[in-house]
Amino acid sequence: MSTLVNVRRYTWIRNAVLAWMSVVLFGAFLMDIPRINMLEHTARNLYFHVPMWFTMMAAVFVSAYHAVQLLRTGDLVRDVRSLQAARVGFLFGLLGLATGILWSRFTWYQASGQWWSFQEPRQALAAVQLLIYGAYFVLRTSLDDPDRRARIAAVYNVFAAVTVPFLLYVVPRQMASLHPGAEGNPAFSDITDPKMRLIFYPAVIGFIGLFWVLYTQRVRTALLKWRLDPDGDPET
Amino acid sequence: MKAWLYGTWAVFEKDVRLELRSRYAINTLLVFVLAAALVVAFALGEVPLTPQVQGALLWIVVLFSASLGLGRSFVMEEEGGTVLLLRLHVPGSSVYTGKLLFNFLLMVVVNTVAFGALWLLLNLTVHWPGLLLATLALGALGLAGTTTLLAALIARSANRGAMLPVLLFPLLFPLLLSVVHATHSALLPDEGWNEAANSLVTLVSFAGALITASVLLFEYVWGE
Repeated sequence: MSTLVNVRRYTWIRNAVLAWMSVVLFGAFLMDIPRINMLEHTARNLYFHVPMWFTMMAAVFVSAYHAVQLLRTGDLVRDVRSLQAARVGFLFGLLGLATGILWSRFTWYQASGQWWSFQEPRQALAAVQLLIYGAYFVLRTSLDDPDRRARIAAVYNVFAAVTVPFLLYVVPRQMASLHPGAEGNPAFSDITDPKMRLIFYPAVIGFIGLFWVLYTQRVRTALLKWRLDPDGDPET
Repeated sequence: MKAWLYGTWAVFEKDVRLELRSRYAINTLLVFVLAAALVVAFALGEVPLTPQVQGALLWIVVLFSASLGLGRSFVMEEEGGTVLLLRLHVPGSSVYTGKLLFNFLLMVVVNTVAFGALWLLLNLTVHWPGLLLATLALGALGLAGTTTLLAALIARSANRGAMLPVLLFPLLFPLLLSVVHATHSALLPDEGWNEAANSLVTLVSFAGALITASVLLFEYVWGE
């Protein structure tokens, strides 16, 4: 079993993330933003919706990385890390999806009143990413032996990660979409007011920091439980 | 290399021979495909369908039958107790490739029958037969490439029955979107190869990426 995280360093980073996120939240709600027709104040969602997806992508990467390391070394700590990154990433994905649905309902679909539409395929494809993790969690529950479960789940994790570029980058770019960055729509960099970047980039860093805090906390809890009961299951 | 090819062919031949003896997978698949096609035809009745809907229905039938029939390939070995024997005689990559070939063959049959049934029942008109054949073949390759590794995974898990659809469907969405789009182009007179080019390239790269990943990952599932 690898050593636990340095507590002093962890506490310092956690407090820094909390302070950082507080500043970001104040800025996100209070700082003046340009009023664009139709978007109006919903543009502030940029500070939450987009960083949440970035965070989920980071979590997918961390989870797949530890899955590869598990396959190489067979160290069960990697399995714990891979699982916890997937769980926290799933949470951020859900939040990103929810903010996306709300945002599109009150801008693009204001007239039609719908909550979900295939005019925006990226949203559906992002939901598929959540389905993949759902399948990953189900697969884990169907295996009892920790070593075998770790290996089988890691194989599925890596295999699913191979389809992620298709889901999030290849296919959405071939379809008509309302989403910025899709065909016919300018991406973030061309249209966004420089003033909004003052909050946006810190928000990205803040959310990834928040992921790191939640993820390491869960990993250490799992490892502590395991240390108390070495014969028990390393992951509950 | 020659030994590897020989081993691969032996695994493939064994599966084909077993299948011809019992006809378990192929009969299940064919009955399922025909039943599903009839269900679709009855449920729709006289409703006129656009080519897009026809393509979507075809691939929904194919996806569900794939999730039903292709999961057997490794469960069969596990239940028959032949895993150790296979492991002794041929390298893992041979086993994988042999099973992949067999599943591909099975999927080609399923796709052909599903298309034939829907063509008859829903009065499809195909304007680009070559494109349709290419789409069916690439769809079969992508499906077989995705399912073979997952079949090896579920052979190791507890509830084998319900597992494959759960694991398979989330991975198939890029494939589904591309095959539906390409089929749609093949059914329309004023579209064709040019409109479907993007989808076909996506299909080829999807199958390539997943089969490559499968070959790399298979050893971890197979060799305990």
